[in-house]
Amino acid sequence: MEYTQLIAQAVVSGLLKAGIYSLVAIGMALSLGVVKILNLAHGDFIMLAQYLSIFIFAQMGLDPLIAAPIVFIIFAIFGFGIFKGLIRFAIKTTELNQLLLTFGLSIFLQNTILMMIGADPKTIFVSYRNVSLSFLGTEFGFGRLIAFLIALIILFALFYILKNTKFGKCTRAVSQNIEGAYLIGIEAERIQMVAFGLSIAIAALGGSMLSIILSAHPTIGLEFTIKSLAIVVVAGFGNIYGVIWASAVLGILESMVSTLLPGGTGLSGGVFFLLIFVFLIMAPIIRKR
Amino acid sequence: MKIFSNTFFVLIIISLCSFPFYINEYYLHNAIIIICFAVLALSWDLAARAGILSLAHAAFFGLGGYTSALLMKYFSLPVPLCFTAAGIFGSLVAVLLGFVTLRLSGLHFAIGTMAFTMLLQVLALHFKDFTGGAMGISIPMLFDGSRIPSYFLLIAVLTVLLICSTLLQRSSFYLAYTSIRTNESTAAVLGVNTNFIKISLFSLSSFFASITGAIYFSYTSSIIPYEAFSLDITVSSIVMAVFGGLFSTIGPIIGAFFLKMIEEYLRGQFTSGHMILYGLILIFAVLVMPQGILGVIKKWKKLFKS
Repeated sequence: MEYTQLIAQAVVSGLLKAGIYSLVAIGMALSLGVVKILNLAHGDFIMLAQYLSIFIFAQMGLDPLIAAPIVFIIFAIFGFGIFKGLIRFAIKTTELNQLLLTFGLSIFLQNTILMMIGADPKTIFVSYRNVSLSFLGTEFGFGRLIAFLIALIILFALFYILKNTKFGKCTRAVSQNIEGAYLIGIEAERIQMVAFGLSIAIAALGGSMLSIILSAHPTIGLEFTIKSLAIVVVAGFGNIYGVIWASAVLGILESMVSTLLPGGTGLSGGVFFLLIFVFLIMAPIIRKR
Repeated sequence: MKIFSNTFFVLIIISLCSFPFYINEYYLHNAIIIICFAVLALSWDLAARAGILSLAHAAFFGLGGYTSALLMKYFSLPVPLCFTAAGIFGSLVAVLLGFVTLRLSGLHFAIGTMAFTMLLQVLALHFKDFTGGAMGISIPMLFDGSRIPSYFLLIAVLTVLLICSTLLQRSSFYLAYTSIRTNESTAAVLGVNTNFIKISLFSLSSFFASITGAIYFSYTSSIIPYEAFSLDITVSSIVMAVFGGLFSTIGPIIGAFFLKMIEEYLRGQFTSGHMILYGLILIFAVLVMPQGILGVIKKWKKLFKS
């Protein structure tokens, strides 16, 4: 009986985590699908957004959930700037140069925060941070539930936009075949810029959700980059719809490992790396059949 | 021209061999670190010549360090044997990893090898009884902490690597791996044994990375997972190769020399901000001179000729 309860607890907390993971990973999948660049600085934008929400909360007393639209707009503009200033020049170069460029950006952002704010974790205490709910014998924080629900709303809004609006159709066209998109008169580079800004802005929303759950730390960026990389790999490269189930699987597996195995909290990070590895190797074999 | 370059070469060798006796410990330590990274960068470049975008260089660096540390700790084998064993073990692991992952295309391979590195880090942190966990293992100091023999040992490794690299560039392997890098399927159609060449280059590159790891951690006399399997090692060796000039023997060494000097200078000037400038240099190097320093030199030569 106790064992089943542990498993149920792990599934619930894993699913709640998966909400934020999918929000973070969908941005990476979007930029990978449309701009065709693997953004290794993706997680650092989450970290920046987390610090920005904490700053807004400390200066103006605005709750991170209410400040989220402001963060969204700031990071969208920031993303456009980064695309115009850096990423645009790297689209036509080799994969190695793209990786190095985004990794350089990641080092730059991480160390700028480290120098300006310092390595101590920063935490804010919103009123509902320590409220916990129970559901069928499992317990979880209210903040996590809110973050999960908002993540779901944003994901469905994004899917609606991609499926039905003109911008969404153009985006999908660019991601399928960029020359074809040029030929039928789509301004591909502009679509790529908007998609890149959107990917960063959505990740930033994930960051502002995170700020009510976790403390902010300069090195959290790489961790989230790798987690979203794992999700993107499991979902299939650039496959935006697969991100949802992939992040659910990874979130549940992560919390299963950390609760059920002895000494599992250290191993839970390994789940992501192992899954990246296994899925990359298995994918060509599965596709052959 | 030939005589000039030969004299130049001899002068470099004489200065490399004599200068540890004239400088103080601090500069000697820096020189040792620079040579370590020169070996790492050039050995990464060896694999990159066949189009292998490996992000697992730190994995082999750490694997070599851990192999020799564990052999010293549990079996107390003689030090040279430990280093050799570390190198051989690293290259064997590279052969296995190569068999599994080398059919993946560039970006997928890079991600997979990065996951491999991080997986090793998690494992080294988890098995505390065996590897000492986050505290790591303390290793008896190389040559009882005397720096000059360590310097010459690393110079020897670098020389062997230089000879390997030069021979590879002059043999028929050069054509084989260059053709693989430019277009793998065409190379296979033309009769190049692509898998054999890729795996052997990958394992050669990993051999040098592992042996450098073993020497480096024995020189610093301790090994911890965060240092051994850190992404920073991989990235800095790649950056040095790119900064100096890819696919050449001398480029990665120039890159290692310049970047480590810059990093050390910045570390002396600013206490915490030196990595910011490092990131900026990386972005600048990729955007402005993707061919590295050697590419810039070539451009200038062309300008002066015409």
